Amino acid sequence: MLDILIYGAVISAVYALLAVGFTLIFGVARILNLAHGAFYALGAYCVYTLTSNLHVPLIIAAIIAVLLVALFGIAMERVLVRPLRRLPPLAVLMMTLAVGLMVEQILLLIFGSEARNVPSLVESSFNFGGVLLSGQRLLAFFCSVAILGGLWLFMQHTRLGAAILAVSQDPEGARYMGIPSDRIFSIVMGLSAAIAAAAGVLVAPFQSVIPGMGLLPLVKAFAIVIVGGLGSIPGSIVGALLLGYTETIVAFKASIEWSQIVSVAAVLIVLIIRPAGFFGKRAAF
Amino acid sequence: MLKRIAPVLAGSALMAAALALPARAEDKPILLGINTALQLQVGRDTIDGVRMAVEEINAKGGVIGRKLEVVTADEGESPKEGVAAVNKLTGDNNVNVLIGGYDSGVTLAELPHISRAQTIFLGTGSASPAIQQKVKDDYANYKYLFRVNPINSAKQAASLLDFIKGKLKGELGYSKISILGENAKWVQDMVPFLKKNATEAGLEVPLAEFFDPQTADFSPIFAKVKDSGSQYLLIILSHAASDVFVKQWYDAKVPVAIGGIDVKSQDADFFKRVGGKALSEVTTNFVLRKPITEKSIPWWDAFVQKYNRAPVYTATGAYDAVYLYAEAVARAKTTDTDAVIKELEKTDFLSARGRVKFDALHEVQDGPGNVNVIYVQWQNEGERAVVWPKEVATAKMIDPPWMMKN
Repeated sequence: MLDILIYGAVISAVYALLAVGFTLIFGVARILNLAHGAFYALGAYCVYTLTSNLHVPLIIAAIIAVLLVALFGIAMERVLVRPLRRLPPLAVLMMTLAVGLMVEQILLLIFGSEARNVPSLVESSFNFGGVLLSGQRLLAFFCSVAILGGLWLFMQHTRLGAAILAVSQDPEGARYMGIPSDRIFSIVMGLSAAIAAAAGVLVAPFQSVIPGMGLLPLVKAFAIVIVGGLGSIPGSIVGALLLGYTETIVAFKASIEWSQIVSVAAVLIVLIIRPAGFFGKRAAF
Repeated sequence: MLKRIAPVLAGSALMAAALALPARAEDKPILLGINTALQLQVGRDTIDGVRMAVEEINAKGGVIGRKLEVVTADEGESPKEGVAAVNKLTGDNNVNVLIGGYDSGVTLAELPHISRAQTIFLGTGSASPAIQQKVKDDYANYKYLFRVNPINSAKQAASLLDFIKGKLKGELGYSKISILGENAKWVQDMVPFLKKNATEAGLEVPLAEFFDPQTADFSPIFAKVKDSGSQYLLIILSHAASDVFVKQWYDAKVPVAIGGIDVKSQDADFFKRVGGKALSEVTTNFVLRKPITEKSIPWWDAFVQKYNRAPVYTATGAYDAVYLYAEAVARAKTTDTDAVIKELEKTDFLSARGRVKFDALHEVQDGPGNVNVIYVQWQNEGERAVVWPKEVATAKMIDPPWMMKN
């Protein structure tokens, strides 16, 4: 029972981190960003390159990786997404898909398909009442909670956060109030990319760093935001807890093989009984 | 005048063409088509093993006066890509022989296409017994299939059982083991067989589970294995993320040693790729820089010198496949498929892995002196040591660092 509680908390925290970035850019800019998994993969590969090839200390490499991916997100929004804003939403969707595929292929060309190793920030393991947990997982949990808490504080207590909320609720109205919505979109894309990259950096030491590593997190993030409601941050957190704990319970009580089907089943059930998700209102921050 | 000599000219031209054609065919190189997963180390080593043998044979003048040439096609890890690769090699390139294969599911999908193309296929990576069973069930249509490498998964299962009974129970005195396999065709028959026979041999098997190869979090399974009180976790992994598996096992300091078949851990750089966290993991292999036969160490050194890296199991299989085909063609004195098949069936070739002979299913034979499974453990500093079978063992098996007895 205790193991389900602990492992479920870790996996839910990482899922929440992934889903919040994904839902953030949708809530503000109405962009369904299929390149979100690519941000996650880029974060992991950046930290791998910085530590393995350039021998940068791990903690500094992690910070640089998150910043670089944030810049990549901003550049993507400015150069590739913004010109398509006036076209039907499908154009932006296709562009983000293209970016996601392109990133994967470039990583494949540069690094090959073999898994790469990112060292752990914390090498020791911990025993909680008989439940073994690696230090890196514990770190991933605490960092995820801290990032989500920081994001909430940023949104609620800063002028920029208020501007983001305003744009998410009414872009036209916000523009009339003098809020530069284009700049807000860029900032939010950078923020969303940074959060995804942070997730990639945190889990890279205990996950596979391979070019296609972004796909599964994208699917999970998608499933979570459908369950929680597109565009809703609280919905994403609840969805992440629901999915994380359900997967863990299935893995422990039934079989690890069945845990993979949980996210698909959850999406199907929610779409049938509550198509908008649990918190599925427009811009329900 | 022109009218009168026209038939003569036409006849002469035809005769010249008829004479010239066989001459050109004799000069034409023999084409070897390599279908493998190019993005993986097993695939790259298949190609490098083939190229190494081809260069050696061509340096000696080729086969029946013809040079060997290599053409490759990527079969990835999906049946769709595999079928496209085989059709490209047999249809567009018109190769004389196919060498390769890695994923059993992909190879099984390719079989009808190989049969239709009537092209010899020398398998170097797939392990499912269902592949060679086709030769028994329908010889006329599937006589083209030969498995050079590895020994099939049923025989590997028998070898694993020998490891369980001889090493784990016999030498180390273990009484409780768990079995974990990825959900793939070649593993599905293996796990029930191992569970049944290990139990009959007096071992307790509290846990025997499959998992999806996409699994990214093994914590639940490690918790279950730990709670089961198992002393050893027998693993069967090929396509799964075994780097993730090993890293999570090491990081959580799971108090159970691991070993079995871990195809990715057979890569020479696996230890480095997982930051040394494979320490004490045991995996099967077929060749290592150890005196398995008189050819083993010279072949290994030649490969390392040529490519500046240690080979994986497909390299030696692919290298052998070229020699088996070349020798069969030399004996048959033709590349005619049926004649070469007859000669391939008589194969008796000493390789770096052992002696290669085929049984009635065109399956490479195991047993004393033949190709056999060896159990290799990652030890300190990434050194690899053979720990089983006893006759070829080079070192004592070590425990994971956190389980070492003082």
